[in-house]
Amino acid sequence: MTKHEIACKQALDQLFEFIDQELPEDRRDEMQHHLHTCKSCFSRFEFERRLKEKLGGLGKGEPSSGIRDRITKLLSRL
Amino acid sequence: MAIPKKAFENQVIDLLGRMHGVARRLTRNDADAEDLVAETVARAWRALDTLEHEAAFRGWIFKILHNTFLDECRRRGARPQFEPFGCEEPEEGEVQFSIFEQMHQPFLLWFSNPEQEFLDKILRDDLDRALATLPEHYRIVVILSDLEEFSYNEIATTLAVPVGTVRSRLARARGALQKILWQQARDIGLSAAPPARHECEDGKADTPRPPTARQALRAKKDSMS
Repeated sequence: MTKHEIACKQALDQLFEFIDQELPEDRRDEMQHHLHTCKSCFSRFEFERRLKEKLGGLGKGEPSSGIRDRITKLLSRL
Repeated sequence: MAIPKKAFENQVIDLLGRMHGVARRLTRNDADAEDLVAETVARAWRALDTLEHEAAFRGWIFKILHNTFLDECRRRGARPQFEPFGCEEPEEGEVQFSIFEQMHQPFLLWFSNPEQEFLDKILRDDLDRALATLPEHYRIVVILSDLEEFSYNEIATTLAVPVGTVRSRLARARGALQKILWQQARDIGLSAAPPARHECEDGKADTPRPPTARQALRAKKDSMS
């Protein structure tokens, strides 16, 4: 193993931190290298990344006119 | 630091859709969600002196929203699903449920990309329903991380817990969410033939039983139809 190589177990242990962009730079580089060379871990990465992306789509919503009116009135009374 | 009233109003209006979305997912009820947002805004205005700088507004007001939600739960005396955050360290060898692992049963690999097909088929409503089924202490970390794109540090600040707790709770929450999604998919026939399960002789482990040839052929035929 070179200094850039990590085992699949280590890669999977830190997969969510990698997807969440929470890994420090050196460990991020190791993960990127591993994902370039390991098809199985890359497939898992793609699955988890896409699932997170789909969940992210739930958060993008406009407030209803009802709540907007209510909060606008509340703000005007503060 | 107190920010001008106009800046406070602008921040609230900018974040209103997000706050309402999180409130709806916490309360699972439109009327309660509106009340929660209104109470949060009123409390935030009264606590404006505790805002350290305007750039921290989002985390600050979401923290107030979460605390207001918890206060309301306590007031009603109804927290059947809630477990407070404690000092949680991941257990050695702890493995979370994974749809990917479930789909990588050997016979399912006859199909091209079962996990990608699964993602193509699940709908916004399926995700919404699965998220609503999660206990509050799991739901909030998934909402803040995956829906609101908070960093682990921001989540830790919002929930007043250590970053390590956020990390371990998030891993467990995602495992629980995937388990619910997997069960939903099986209930409506979205996932291919579920792996048959049986107890090992020692009664501790639950491992997949290899499919019979007939089951495997049926699964393959179903995937092609």
